[in-house]
Amino acid sequence: MASSYSQEWRSVCDTFRNAQTLSDIESRKDPENDPFRSKYKARDLLKEILTVLKSFDTGETEDDDNDAECQTEEPVDGGKGEACGRRCPGDSNAGIRAAKLGVIEYYLGVNHVETEELSAGEEHLMKCMKLLDRCTITQENVSLCIQARNQLGILWAGRDETEKAQGFLETAESIYIRYMKEDGQPPMDLTEFFVGEEDQLSQQERTKRFELAYTHTLYYLAQVYKNLEQFERAGKYCHSTLQRQLELNQFVPLEWAINAATLSQYYITKTRYMEGRHCLAAASVIAGLAGEVPSEAAAQESEIEYEKREQLRQKRAEIARCWIKYCLNLMQDAKKLLEDNIGELDVDRQAELSRVRRNEEEERERERKSTVLFSSSDTFDSICALEDKVSCIFPLDFEEARAVFLVGQNYVGQAKEYFEMDGHVTDHIEILQDHSALFKVLAFFEEDLERRCKMHKRRVDMLEPICKDLNAQYYLLVCRQLQFELAETYYEMMDLKLAVADRQDDLDAHTVKKFNTLCSASMKYYEKFLDTARSPDGKFPDKLEDEVLRPALVAKFRVARLQSKLISASPTVQIENLSRSLEAYRFVVQYCEENPEARPAVETELELSEEMVSLLPIKINRIRAKIAVN
Amino acid sequence: TTLPLNGNSGDGDAIKVFVRIRPLTEGTGLTTDGDQNLCLTVTSSNTIRLHSKPEPRTFTYDHVADMDTTQEAVFSSVAKNIVESCINGYNGTIFAYGQTGSGKTFTMLGPSECDSFSDDQRGVIPRSFEYLFFLINREVEKSGNLKSFLCKCSFIEIYNEQIYDLLDSASASLFLRENIKKGVFVEGAVEKFVTSAAEAYQVLSMGWRNRRVASTSMNRESSRSHAVFTMTLESKETDREVVNIRSSQLNLVDLAGSERQKDTHAEGSRLKEASSINRSLMCLGQVIMALVDVSNGKTRHICYRDSKLTFLLKDSLGGNAKTYIIANVHPGSKCFGETWSTLQFAQRAKLIKNKAMINEDTQGNVR
Repeated sequence: MASSYSQEWRSVCDTFRNAQTLSDIESRKDPENDPFRSKYKARDLLKEILTVLKSFDTGETEDDDNDAECQTEEPVDGGKGEACGRRCPGDSNAGIRAAKLGVIEYYLGVNHVETEELSAGEEHLMKCMKLLDRCTITQENVSLCIQARNQLGILWAGRDETEKAQGFLETAESIYIRYMKEDGQPPMDLTEFFVGEEDQLSQQERTKRFELAYTHTLYYLAQVYKNLEQFERAGKYCHSTLQRQLELNQFVPLEWAINAATLSQYYITKTRYMEGRHCLAAASVIAGLAGEVPSEAAAQESEIEYEKREQLRQKRAEIARCWIKYCLNLMQDAKKLLEDNIGELDVDRQAELSRVRRNEEEERERERKSTVLFSSSDTFDSICALEDKVSCIFPLDFEEARAVFLVGQNYVGQAKEYFEMDGHVTDHIEILQDHSALFKVLAFFEEDLERRCKMHKRRVDMLEPICKDLNAQYYLLVCRQLQFELAETYYEMMDLKLAVADRQDDLDAHTVKKFNTLCSASMKYYEKFLDTARSPDGKFPDKLEDEVLRPALVAKFRVARLQSKLISASPTVQIENLSRSLEAYRFVVQYCEENPEARPAVETELELSEEMVSLLPIKINRIRAKIAVN
Repeated sequence: TTLPLNGNSGDGDAIKVFVRIRPLTEGTGLTTDGDQNLCLTVTSSNTIRLHSKPEPRTFTYDHVADMDTTQEAVFSSVAKNIVESCINGYNGTIFAYGQTGSGKTFTMLGPSECDSFSDDQRGVIPRSFEYLFFLINREVEKSGNLKSFLCKCSFIEIYNEQIYDLLDSASASLFLRENIKKGVFVEGAVEKFVTSAAEAYQVLSMGWRNRRVASTSMNRESSRSHAVFTMTLESKETDREVVNIRSSQLNLVDLAGSERQKDTHAEGSRLKEASSINRSLMCLGQVIMALVDVSNGKTRHICYRDSKLTFLLKDSLGGNAKTYIIANVHPGSKCFGETWSTLQFAQRAKLIKNKAMINEDTQGNVR
């Protein structure tokens, strides 16, 4: 570069630096009514540079319009970066010249896009690509090749041409991969063409900038795949983006942790617990890097400390909540595998699954593990240690389930510390609902019926007080959920007591009383739930809303069943209970007659209701006859 | 005390959408003045055709009001029913949405600088106040003074996810909190008691003035902020020793100009860019969030909070309230892009409905 240190060249470098400053720093202070003032100034400077560069004659006439031998109709990117007619190595004189022109075209392109002139921006970026198309990919121009395509990807996605964006970005990706395989030296940064010898970047800084540009490629690809609804692929690219941020130490701890925790939720909905657990362990460890939570006293002293305390506590509680979901889903999925057709544990299947597990689990885990690790030398050990605290394979018996449950319960405690009832009603209740669900699924694994009953009692103790205090005017949906769950829990307990009583020879008064209490409690909550469907003047709707249709009819059906279960020594009371039961069964049958579209939602219940509507009157008459005889 | 439970009666809980087209007049401040080409046609009282290329598109709403619709007619279709429900203990919300200059303020308040109470052109809000107090007085009379009402107003602004009190311009930003009895509320927001439509309107005007002052002095652009005026109505009825208390809320919301709504919904396929200055890829989380599938019945937690506005109006967005969105559009062909995005937003809003999931065991078994 003969002209490198001439006066003229130095002034080109100064102009370039000014353009950068205008574009990046000055522009932030532009007035509202003239938002692009500095960007326009920067644009003029860049155009000046372009003119000067073109006047440096290298002996080749490389006019932009003079590329007859390079006629690809429209440079569609999407092939694997195989450009036509490579005529010069990228590090030759002609190559360097092309790269310099390309850099300026690139910045002009970005400038036009930023000032909302997309077509002109596209033209400059395409010119930049064309200039480089004639050169092999080298240290000098690889970074520019990738960044120009990143920009074109953004541009085309903005125009709703997602496939076109995908082409540019995938090419950028393959250029990176090829360069790293064939060369791998830290490449030059775009700005380095226009600085003096003394301002060249360090190898480390070059690598950092280059790798960041590629991280952006992956980040944009993740979005493109999401927009194309290729979710699996998008998930993979999100994962890679996170992984690179960690490797290259280019991340904000709390933000990274929350993103990893969110990704864990993606994996658990896809039943990929190993990956889910890995994300969560990484999230917890990285969130720990964000520092200590300032004390309450410190938070009261200063606004900044308050903000920091709030942020840290909230984000860590959020991660705890993701852990709860992990434990809950793991147990619920295991339950689905193990239950028979009446929802009880199937011992044959349990044995079979244990056998299968011994044979293949370890092998499969080894295989998959290699593909998912978030590796960063400082955090690797802590992440693994945290992973070891909870299993990622389905629990198959009570002991295994309990281990998962306890981890979940521990996170419930952590989450509740921040999401207190007063101030965070919705969040707090959601956490309690999860806690209740953890107990519920643990009860499935418990063989002892009395102990199982105690677990359900814990659920009642948790939810009942809130259900009483919660204002249904503002929390109608939550109220409905709680009422229904409480009704079901009491119902479950009633069933368990019945099963226990069946093993005893005769029922003592205490057991009978207990049983009737559970029945009444369950009925009470079903009725409360049904009341929420009434209009303000107490009328039950002729037509139920879609979302309450099934629950409401199920509630009616259960009430009918509970009424008939009540134990009483007095025949008159028996008749009363059975008549009420009949009334509720009739309601279900009648509703489905008037609204046939409701039938599929409650098929089983309806069939039984119809049966009971014909049977109960006979039963009632039999008792009546008995009374008459006595 | 007993509270009425707002059971959803029929279509009461779907969000309703009213589209209003402003007339082409000079001086709107938009760059369309003098342009007589229209980009849309009203094809019936609930459909509108947008002259898009290659094919025109037709949108359907609950109501489409053309250029010569009167203020009175807008009030009757949108607000009358909501105000009546408020008296009966339902919560109600009216949103105004549209690009700056599409007639939002005119629809909600009326022409600027008019004495709203005598002007025939007064907007939805003053008319709602009048009607509300007319109904209150009628109820009180009907009950022979056994029924009494208490009415308080608050007025806040949400700018850049910060909450400001428009009735107390000296206050710093406020927080949203939840309480088991009161639902979601803005902690520390001033509440002013009002006993007539005129008083309510005074409170509103004062807040509106503060909004303008704040936007010039504190760099808060009012076209970028949402303003929420809330009226809490409590009624007390004494009926033979039993005291029956009902309370309800009426929210009147002026949403930020739609051209400023750079949210994911308005942007469609645009990519979130990573700034090289900042090490963070801010929106990666939102991309991941979109991947988390809700449909397979798994329970999961999403760490990204609702915006302050949606959280504050949780009730209104499906479930427990009557909600109307007024989408204002400008018919000039130069506004085509904004008009299209407003119409799309309004269409999507129709779909917002709280999924009242009742966690029933999917076990179809009956034991």
